[in-house]
Parts: sequence; structure tokens; C-alpha cells
Amino acid sequence: MPKILLVEDNEMNRDMLSRRLEKRGYTLAIAVDGAAGVAMAKSEAPDLILMDMSLPVIDGWDATKQIKADPATAKVPIIALTAHAMDSDRQKALAAGCDDFDTKPVELARLLVKIEELLKKFPPKA
Amino acid sequence: MKSLSFRWQLTLFILMISGVTLSLAFAGLYLYDVQQFNAEVQTRLESSQAAVIESVLPQLEHNPNATGLSLKVLAGNTQVAAGAIYSRDNRLLGQFVRPGSVEKVPPSRGLLSQLTPERGAVWLPITSGLRPLGQLYLKAELSEADRNRFANLMRGSLIIFFASAMLAVAVAFRVQGRITQPITELARVSTHVQRSRDYSERVQTTASGEIGDLIQSFNAMLDTIQSNTAELERARAAAEEAREKIHQTNDQLEEANRTLEARVVDRTRLLAKAVKDAEEASKAKSSFLAKMSHELRTPLNAIIGYSEIMREDAVDDGDTRTADDLDKVLSAARHLLGLINDVLDISKIEAGKMELYLETFELSKVVTEVISTASPLVAKKGNSLVVDCPPDIGTMHADATKLRQMLLNLLSNASKFTEKGTVTLKVRRQRGEPEDNIELAVIDSGIGMTPEQLARLFQAFSQADASTSSKYGGTGLGLAISKQFAQMMKGEINVTSTPGVGSTFTIRLPANVQSKQPKIVGTSSPKLTRSPFPTQTRPKILVIDDDKEIRIVIAELLNMSGYEVIEAASGQQGLDLADQSAPDLILLDVMMPGIDGWTVLTKLQSKPRLADVPVIVLSAVSDSDMAMSLGAASVLLKPVDASRLTAEIAMQLCPVDGSFVLLVEDDPDSRNLLIRMFEKEGWQFRAAVNGNAALRVLHKAAPVFIILDLKMSGMNGFELLEVIGKNPAWSKIPVAIVSSMDITPEMRDYLQTRVTAIFQKGRFSREELADLIRPVIQGGAPVPAAKPA
Repeated sequence: MPKILLVEDNEMNRDMLSRRLEKRGYTLAIAVDGAAGVAMAKSEAPDLILMDMSLPVIDGWDATKQIKADPATAKVPIIALTAHAMDSDRQKALAAGCDDFDTKPVELARLLVKIEELLKKFPPKA
Repeated sequence: MKSLSFRWQLTLFILMISGVTLSLAFAGLYLYDVQQFNAEVQTRLESSQAAVIESVLPQLEHNPNATGLSLKVLAGNTQVAAGAIYSRDNRLLGQFVRPGSVEKVPPSRGLLSQLTPERGAVWLPITSGLRPLGQLYLKAELSEADRNRFANLMRGSLIIFFASAMLAVAVAFRVQGRITQPITELARVSTHVQRSRDYSERVQTTASGEIGDLIQSFNAMLDTIQSNTAELERARAAAEEAREKIHQTNDQLEEANRTLEARVVDRTRLLAKAVKDAEEASKAKSSFLAKMSHELRTPLNAIIGYSEIMREDAVDDGDTRTADDLDKVLSAARHLLGLINDVLDISKIEAGKMELYLETFELSKVVTEVISTASPLVAKKGNSLVVDCPPDIGTMHADATKLRQMLLNLLSNASKFTEKGTVTLKVRRQRGEPEDNIELAVIDSGIGMTPEQLARLFQAFSQADASTSSKYGGTGLGLAISKQFAQMMKGEINVTSTPGVGSTFTIRLPANVQSKQPKIVGTSSPKLTRSPFPTQTRPKILVIDDDKEIRIVIAELLNMSGYEVIEAASGQQGLDLADQSAPDLILLDVMMPGIDGWTVLTKLQSKPRLADVPVIVLSAVSDSDMAMSLGAASVLLKPVDASRLTAEIAMQLCPVDGSFVLLVEDDPDSRNLLIRMFEKEGWQFRAAVNGNAALRVLHKAAPVFIILDLKMSGMNGFELLEVIGKNPAWSKIPVAIVSSMDITPEMRDYLQTRVTAIFQKGRFSREELADLIRPVIQGGAPVPAAKPA
């Protein structure tokens, strides 16, 4: 099954989203801050990354830039999760190299469509 | 006489006249008496007369000039006092004086004795036949009676003389009163009036005739003067009063001014504080809202998420009751989320923080997305959704997210207020000049609205009816937000509605939405000319403009272009900062409250230290003549084009290295024509609008060629030629005159000693001019002046 790296600092959101994705059959890896996200993008070799933008240590935009700058992880699609009203966050997310974005709170059905589309575009290696 | 009063003058005059008249009368009387008396004497002496003539006649006949004639014959007649014989030529020939008498005979018979008869003397001619031989003089011995007669005559005359003189004086005194009284009165009054300036006095008189007329005229004149003086006095008093009032008003005004100034200062301080407070409050509000929305969203996120998990589990377990309850929780949570989002949007709009993110997108794609999101909503109340969108609707340049939100809002409203009806989304492109419009209409067959409800429709926090919200839900913010979004994109939302029939909401947007019209154009992707001094300290530019927005944009622009910017928000501040900071160039707005741009320009030009600093005037109206004549280096029209502004600044500051042409011309069209030629030829150039600006260029670097117009505001061509001619560094630079002026032969003679060529505007080819300049530019140094054309 595709492996998704969820980078999210809020414990409740992390738990909720990971359980719902696992229920739909995805394997989940969890990072709690940007730096861990960058490290695990390499170590866990996920097929897709869900990246919260406001993160401790290094924020989502910087983490995305670093992941996209590293040839080992550059090909991994990233979906940015941004707050609804912050239009500028989205623009920044795309500029940082995110492949798509979705708003928080997460509308699972919509997020699932985006995940599937990206996984089709960037098929898992295995 | 002059010092005598008129009455005495008159008296004397009468006296003189009567004296003269009487004297003449007496003289006549006397002469008459003498004649009478002498006639008597002649009769008395007739015998002696004959005896004398008889005795001397023989001698005289013998010699008419015989002297020493004896008159002894007279001694016998006692009535004769003296006698004498005179020759024909009146010489004394012989005489007799009775001894003891004091009589004297005239020594000769003079003219005087012939004309004035002597009392008691007779003259008789002596003749021999018809031949005159001389004259006999006889003087009678006067008797007592004779003497008395004369004395009586003289006495009577004197008495009459004095009596009549007295009478004359008396009469004069009597009469002169009548004549002089009015005149002396007139004199007295006029003297009094003259001394006292009292024009109320009048000459009292009963005089008639010319004097009466004169006095009446004088009185009338006094009347006029008096009334004029009174009027003058009144006017003066009024003026005095007015002046007093003005004085008072001035004082009050000054007082008011002082108070006002103090209050203005006070208010300004308060206002500044208020603005600062407001800015801080606004900032605090924004950050509070951002934080709150995040804080609210996070738990909501959890509520929605966990409710969904539980609902899924319940559905899996077949527990429909729990699933239904959780649906309600989810619905409430999503509603709450919608509220938070709407409130946040409204706050951002109100704070002016809502921004547009313009992108070009396929309109049909956005419509499809919106429909897929909205169809469950529409279907909820048994409505059918009709989409009427041509497949070739094409692309649109706008904020897609906001368009999506607007459409969703309208569709959700339509489905809320419609039951078992139709909701239609109709999209049309309206081709138009200058640009296309996109029309997106949401048409429902719902309950509709009354005109009163329509009127309140787009106000924030107001639904068509207060009860609506409880029945249909919603915050009432959606339409207000949509309307704001439409306006931000220079579009609009209109609504038509009939109660019971349905409503139509129409969004109309330009197909190509422009970002907010900037006051400075072309800042987004301008071709900026950078500072000509990249390696040195950044040139200082003073920006004087009351519009903060423009200052900020210009400052940013100039900072990017390599300049240091000093901002002044008013004319006064501009002057102060120009003094303090010695800028390299000044950008000056014309329209400013308080001291306007023209005044600033004039004051700058009057300070020797600042007169050399080029001033670029920014003006909304084309009044370059005014600017040039006041000494501006150049004028740019507002809105200012960023690339033109930076190019102009660079040109003004640029130390042209190498050969360049200096163009001195005030007419922008002529200037542009020539500049185009320079650009085509690839020559460096500097343009100056008049002699003053040209000198600013010359002081920095000497051009290899000067093209000079003659008629310019400020320093004209002739004056500039004078200045150039006096400076040895410039006098060798070839100059070509290009002027529309009628050049007289005298002017031509004058110019030909100083310039290389003279061209009449419109009567020469630019190629001719270029041929003159080309060798100089290529030579890199001034060439000896060519033969004047």
C-alpha cells in the first residue's frame, strides 16, 4: 500500500487524520515538526507527503523546499495543508514546491481525491 | 497804501480826486485873475509905454541889437516899478528899476516868461512900421488894493479848498461805509474762516449789485465747503470707526488664529496619536483575528474529524441513530466553520487587507468544480440544477478562489430559498470594447423577495428578513462578502426578484481583471534605469509629495534603482529637508496643501546653494511652461511612468562620459523629434528646457555640440549664448540654432559671429543637422566652427 508521511504538530489532528487514512488502507509515517519531516522524507521513503505549513523547528514551506531540493526526495509529491482564510499561504505553498494543497479542517473525501490523483501521477516505486 | 484798510484807501482816493479838481479850478481862476489884472495894468501904463517906445525907437531902428538903452523916461511915471527892452532874439538891451524897489527884470525873455504870465507885468512888441524890433517889459507898481485883491483871492481859494476837502472826507466817510462795509465784512469773514476753519459763519450784508452777488457767491461757496467738510468729517469718522472695527476684528482674528493654531497643533497631535492607535489597533485586530481563526479552527478540526470517524464506524456497525446524530453534530460544526470563515473575510475586507490573487484560468473548469461542490446542496431540497455554460467560454484572468466562493454562495442561497424547483447557473461572455465581460447568473424559482427586502440584501449581517436566519440558516454575510469581492475585481452583483416567482443574481466581472490602478504606472514590470553611480554612495533624492502612497511607491522604486530617498510630506518640510540634507535631485509634486509646488520651486531657485539641484516637477496637469519658467529641470505628468521617471532622474544626474550633444529646447514636440534622431544615430545627449537648465548641464560636463532654441521661458537662447561666449571652456563648442523665431538680418549678423549654423524650424532636414554633428561626435572633440550656414 502507498506510504504517506504526515507532518503535523497538532496531536489531535495527527491522530484523527492518521486513523482515517489508515482505515482506508494507507501506511502512515508521522513526523511532528518540519525538521523531522525532512529527515523522515529521506529515511521512510514515503510515496506522498501531507505537510502542515505552520510547524515548529522549521516550517512547512522550508521543509518542502529542502525536500524538493534533495534529489533523493525531490520526486515525492507533497500536499500542503493550509488554513482556509490564508490565501497567501497557498500561493507560498505552491511557490515552495508543493504539488497541491488542501484546506484545514480537512474534508476527507476531497483530500482522498487529491491523494489518489497525485499517486497516479507519481506512481509508487514498488 | 497797501497796508491801509480799504475804507482809508477809499477816503484818500476821494480826497485826492476832490483836491485835484479844486486845484485845477483854482489854477484856472488864478490865471483868469492874472489876465484880468494885467489887462487893467496895460491900460494903466499906456502913456509910459508910448513914451518909452518913442525914446528908444530911433536907436533900435538904427541898431536892433544896441545895448545899454536908457529907460530914464520911466522914472517919471510912479506907477511903473520896473521896465526892460529885449531884442528880437530876447536878449536884455536896457532896463530900469525904480530905486527902492525890490523888483527884478527877467535877465532875458525866456520861454517860461512867455508862457506863464506874471502878475502885474505886461509885454509889448516894439515895431517900426511892420518890422518887429524887440519887446518892451513893464512891471507895474502894485498898490495896496492890488495886493489885497490877490491876498483875498488866495485866502478865499484856501478856505474853499479846505472846506470842500473836509466835505469830501465827510462824504467819503458817509458813503464808504456803504461800499466798504460789505467788503470789509467779507474780508473779516474770510480771514476768520481761514484762521478758524469754521465754515458755519456767513457774511451778513444787505449789499446789492456786484458786491451783493460776490458775497452771495462767497456764502454759497461757504455752504458748499461746509457741507463738503461735514460730509468729509462724517466720512472720516466712518473711516475711523471702520478702522477701529477692523483693528478689533484683526485682534479677534489674530486671537482666533492663535487659538486655532494651538488647537490645530493639539488636534494634529491627537490625530497623529489616534492614527497611530488606530493603526496599532488594526494590527492587533488582524493578528487577533488570524490567531482566533486558527484557535477556533483547530478544535473544530478535531470535532469534525472525530465525528466523521465515529460516523463512519457507526455506519459500519449499522448504528443509524448514532450516525444520524453525528450528522447533526457535523452539520453544526460545518456551519460554525462557515461562520468563522465569513467573519474573518468581512474583517479582512473592512481592514482593507483582503487581497486579490489574479491568475488566468479556464472558466469552464471553475464552473465544473463549483457545480460538483454545490450539487449535493441543491439536490437537498429536491431542486434540479441546470448549468448553461457554452463549452467555448474560454479563459478568464481573475481571482479564481474568490469567484468560486461567490458562485458557491449564490448557489447555496438559491437552493436554501427554493424547494422542488430549479436552480440555473448561466454563464456568458459578452464581447465588448475595450474588453470582454463575464456574466454569471444564478436563477432560482424560489420564494423571491420584495423590493424592501432587496434594498437590505447586500448589507453585512442582514438577511432579507430577521426571521430568515432561523428558518434558512446562514450568517447573512455571504452576499456582502460576494459583493465586496465583485467590487474588488471591478465588477458588480445585481439582483432582480419577484416574490413567489424567484430571484436572479448576476455577477458581472471583466474577463481580464486588472490589479488596483496604481498611481505610478508600470511598477510591476518596469524597465527601470538604475542609478548612474553604481559603485559610489547612492545619490540622495528628495521626494516632496503630500500623498503618502505616492511617496512610498516612489521611494521603493528609487531604492530599487539605487538611490537614497528622503521623503517630505509638505512643501515646508520639503524646503527644510532640502536645506538640511543637500539632495542631488528633487522630485516635486505641484498640488499640495499649504505651500504648493510652484512656491517651493521658486524658493528653491532663490537659494544659491539649491539652485543648481535639478528639480523634476510631477504634475497632474500639463503646465510645463510654468514649471520651466520657474526653473524646473523637467516635468513629468502624473500618473508617473516608472521607467520614464527613473530614466529622467538618471539623465539629470548622469555624468555623461564621452561626447554628447546638448539640446536646449523648451517645446516637447521639437525636443522629442531631435531626441529620436540622437537615439537613431546612437549619440549620447542631454536635454535642457532652457538656458538655466543648460547651464546646470554645462557646469557638470562640456558637450561637443549644442543645439539651441532661441525663444524659451527662463534664460533664452541669446542670453545663454552670451554666457557661453564668456567662458573659455565653452566658447569653442559649436552651436547650431534651431528656432521658429523670425530671424532679422541684425540678429543673423549677431548670431553668425557666435554660432555654427542657423536653422529655421520646419525648414531644414534633420539630416542636414546630423551631418553637422556627426564629425564632431566621431572626432570626440570640438572641431573648429564650420562656415556659418
